[in-house]
Amino acid sequence: MIRTHLRYHRPDTPDDAAALLAEHHGRVAVLAGGSQLLPRMHRGEVDLDHVVDLRGLGLRAIERTGGRVRLGAMVTYDDALASALLAEAVPLLPRVARGVTGGRQLTGHATLVGALCHAFPGTDMPGALSALGATVELHGPDGPRECPVDEFLLGAQSIDRRPGEFVAAVTVDGVARSGYCKVKHATGSWPIATASAIEDGDALTVTLGAVQARPLRIVIPDPTRSAVDDAVAAAVTAPWTDVLAPGDYRARIAPVVARRALTELREGAHA
Amino acid sequence: MTTTPTPPHSLRTAAEPDTVPDPPPGAPDLHETDGHQPLRRDGDLLLTGRARFVDDIAPRGLMHAAILRSPHPHALIRGVDATRARERADVEVVLTGADAVDLATPLPHFFEPSIVGCRTTEFRCLATDRVRWVGEPVAAVVATSLAAAEAALDDIVVDYEPLPAVLDADEALREDAPVLFEEWGDNRLGLFPFAEGDAAAKIAAAPHVIRDELRVGRQHVAPMETRGYVAEWEPGGRLTLWASTQNPHPLRTNLATTLGVPEDRVRVVATRMGGGFGHKFNGYGEEPLVCLLSRLADAPVKWIETRKDCLLVGAREFTHRFEVGFDDDGVVLGLSDRIVGNIGCLAPWGGWSMTFPAGMTFPGPYRIADYAIESVPVVTNKAPWNGFRGYGKEQAAMALERIMDLVAEHRGIDPAEVRRRNFIPPEAFPFWTAAKHLDSGEYAAALDKALALAGYDALRERQAAALAQGRHLGVGIGFELTPEGGDFAGSFVRGFDTSTVRVHPSGAVSVLTGVTSPGTGNETSIAHLVAREFGIAVEAVGVTQGDTDSCPYGFGNFTSRSLATGGAAAVLAARELRERMADAASALLDADAADFEFRDGAVVSRTAPETSLTFAELAETIYRRGLAAPGLDQPLLEVTRIDLPHNFHHVPDDQGRFSAYPSFPYSAHVALVEVDAETGVVEVLEYSAIDDCGVVISPGFVAGQLYGAIAQGIGGALWEEVPYDEDGAPAAETFKHYLTPRAPDLPSFRLEHQHTPSPFTLLGTKGAGESGVGGAMAALLNAVNDGLRPLGVHAHRVPLTPPVVLDAIVSGGAP
Repeated sequence: MIRTHLRYHRPDTPDDAAALLAEHHGRVAVLAGGSQLLPRMHRGEVDLDHVVDLRGLGLRAIERTGGRVRLGAMVTYDDALASALLAEAVPLLPRVARGVTGGRQLTGHATLVGALCHAFPGTDMPGALSALGATVELHGPDGPRECPVDEFLLGAQSIDRRPGEFVAAVTVDGVARSGYCKVKHATGSWPIATASAIEDGDALTVTLGAVQARPLRIVIPDPTRSAVDDAVAAAVTAPWTDVLAPGDYRARIAPVVARRALTELREGAHA
Repeated sequence: MTTTPTPPHSLRTAAEPDTVPDPPPGAPDLHETDGHQPLRRDGDLLLTGRARFVDDIAPRGLMHAAILRSPHPHALIRGVDATRARERADVEVVLTGADAVDLATPLPHFFEPSIVGCRTTEFRCLATDRVRWVGEPVAAVVATSLAAAEAALDDIVVDYEPLPAVLDADEALREDAPVLFEEWGDNRLGLFPFAEGDAAAKIAAAPHVIRDELRVGRQHVAPMETRGYVAEWEPGGRLTLWASTQNPHPLRTNLATTLGVPEDRVRVVATRMGGGFGHKFNGYGEEPLVCLLSRLADAPVKWIETRKDCLLVGAREFTHRFEVGFDDDGVVLGLSDRIVGNIGCLAPWGGWSMTFPAGMTFPGPYRIADYAIESVPVVTNKAPWNGFRGYGKEQAAMALERIMDLVAEHRGIDPAEVRRRNFIPPEAFPFWTAAKHLDSGEYAAALDKALALAGYDALRERQAAALAQGRHLGVGIGFELTPEGGDFAGSFVRGFDTSTVRVHPSGAVSVLTGVTSPGTGNETSIAHLVAREFGIAVEAVGVTQGDTDSCPYGFGNFTSRSLATGGAAAVLAARELRERMADAASALLDADAADFEFRDGAVVSRTAPETSLTFAELAETIYRRGLAAPGLDQPLLEVTRIDLPHNFHHVPDDQGRFSAYPSFPYSAHVALVEVDAETGVVEVLEYSAIDDCGVVISPGFVAGQLYGAIAQGIGGALWEEVPYDEDGAPAAETFKHYLTPRAPDLPSFRLEHQHTPSPFTLLGTKGAGESGVGGAMAALLNAVNDGLRPLGVHAHRVPLTPPVVLDAIVSGGAP
């Protein structure tokens, strides 16, 4: 049960949103889909007096911007799955969205940007957006600010969001060729390890998610099995431990997940 | 398929009934399994979300309770300061353990440990001077809203002095371990030995011996609906408690004791249940606590268990250390298993005694003359256990089935064949073991049917073909014997139950019964049984359960006993009423009473079918003219009967054998899995099972129970666990931590059934509900290990999560 008296705000402009967030800093949360925030509030894990709902700001578009693709903060997994633009320009995102569990109740309102901001290691989006070289567009009392996703993600459930700021959108590179692998225990499990494989010209990278507190981007100089295994093993230095799996398990399967993502990149996704 | 063993010499006292009564003339064939059943009562309400559960109960002026729980696994309470909480405007009551001492007596145990020679102690509804597990209730708040009540908990300051804690059962058994209950001297609650012959000598002399270990982690029931209670006192001092409980009558008795209220002034209403499985056995401190809070608040009070609190309740944390001796043919010559159950802290809840069936169920379906099983319940600073479907019997299934596969592997014999060589044969029934008098069984037939259903030979071929491609398929057999219907004299866990049948003047029929439904549909089955006796439409029969104001005293829902007790009692009561009504028809229609049959809503002469009355006409006439018209001498159309399975043996025989369980359903399972040898992830590909619970009254419900049991067993085998962190707190607080199977995790199950009636129950039923959990756990355990065979490793740690499986692969399988 939410224990505090809550004030709900639905500002109409980014500046109003930033002003509210600044005014109530420390006692306020940004509400997008709410799929993480509301259960945590019900469990008494966060203690707030205000929520600022972003739905009045019209941040639900998926659009081209220059050579990149921009996703508003309110874009849901269902939106990503239905987007022709993403299917063509950034197929990794619908590929990841397909594997998100929780059913329609979740995919209809949970947002990609919300998952990024939650920054829980055992989720898909931080790793996938890191793989795509995402830029995080924040808006705060001093106006807009851009931040590379790898700088935005500071650690487990820790992001570079300054007082009064909220994330308005992320922009990602158009990446036509990608592969994804996620290992988890069962349908209800969060990801234990993910890998996004990206081919950009001659450069091959694998970005591991859920393996460490922050996504781990690894350049793959040579896609042979032993070279991938060596590169991943060398990169994984502080594997994440949680209630579902110890760090040494994640370290063990990280090369496997990386190889499988590369295989999907090479051969295409199987059913 | 029917076996007809003769009923044995009874060792029960003379007062107890001995055999199944003969059916009266014209009674329907109770052993008939016609495959038809009425639709589930209230199925439409459930499917459309209109069924009401305890959280839907909201009397006018309702207030809400929240409970402060210990953050320490072991600590002294030096003081509780609730001043600030009491000052909050929206707070009505704050109750501490010290306050409650004078308001409520110690809590009666669901099953008093001393009855079976175990140590015991007293518990209060709130801890007073010491806490022994994270989550133990320490204080409670009533406020005008749940939010306010929860918020007020932060304003209660408890001064704790932490004590050393012990979480592991083996460590708890060490001499230097912290002791939970100082008066005991150590942490051993008791010891349950089950032995016949001389296992040690037979194992020592056996040509082949395997010694190994199997560990099962702490698991949890995970009902969809958590517990909850709503208490309301009437101005005259009468208490009503709406409770999601499996035992409304014993709960009422215990509330009367604890609160010092005459029992007749307490009404317990067991609300519709969204899953019980043992989680809702009575004995929880919150039961009297919510009543007490309501009295103090002078208002109705509701408390609903949060998911996090629900997940505190544990089960199944066992270690088996077994030794088996066998011959060249895989015939087991001697078996021992020392079983240690980490029961968490003792509590008045109904869980610790799962350590009894965990040992008692041995040697399962197998004829092993020489065995020595010890089951040791050990207390630790984890939260207590309550019941969990399977109730320890799944432990025997897992250990025995793993042993059969290890023997098969050792001897190079097919695991199915090893089982055939060790099964108790059909002609041996009834069959005695140390603590079981087995009713009937066709074990090999059931296994062969399961193998055929699974296409076992083809599975082995597919397995070989897959291995050639580097894929690790595993085929696992699980055979489970499930003792059901247990009777523990001295407790309220009894083997009989009571039903009243009442025929109304309109011809409507009411059944009031002491057995309750956890959602299985037994109310529909009982209505069906009674309607069948009277030859009337099932819709004309109402069934009332769970309301202590209207139902006869009963013991509720546990150990898959509803139809063998309450259902059979209802049939007996209906038969007695039918005799009365036939006598009345005889007087009214001038025909022989024995000539009447009850069919199609009428009472009809067999020899002269035009001589008839409708059932309703006859009932109304008896009410209107009874004791006035000649021959209408018995106008009381209400009968209350008890019944029970007639196979209890409480007094040990000259060999010390006894049987607290009367019925022994069983099931055979075959699972196909694929083990991802690089990640340890196990995928369940195919699943087939045969069950035999004797006569089946409602095939759809029996199949539903088996589906659920298998799903729960697969979850327990592969994913479900509540780990504790190093601070002694449970680490699983939501269903993202405690992973139960979801639909995509399970294949379609192929189920078929075999029916070997019990000769000892009125209906020939043996009990359906629990059966299947242990078989599924065993089948998965064996399937995963079968998949690992080419890698030369075993994984003997359940649940077989990917880290556990990969660890076995990487480390070479040392347990």
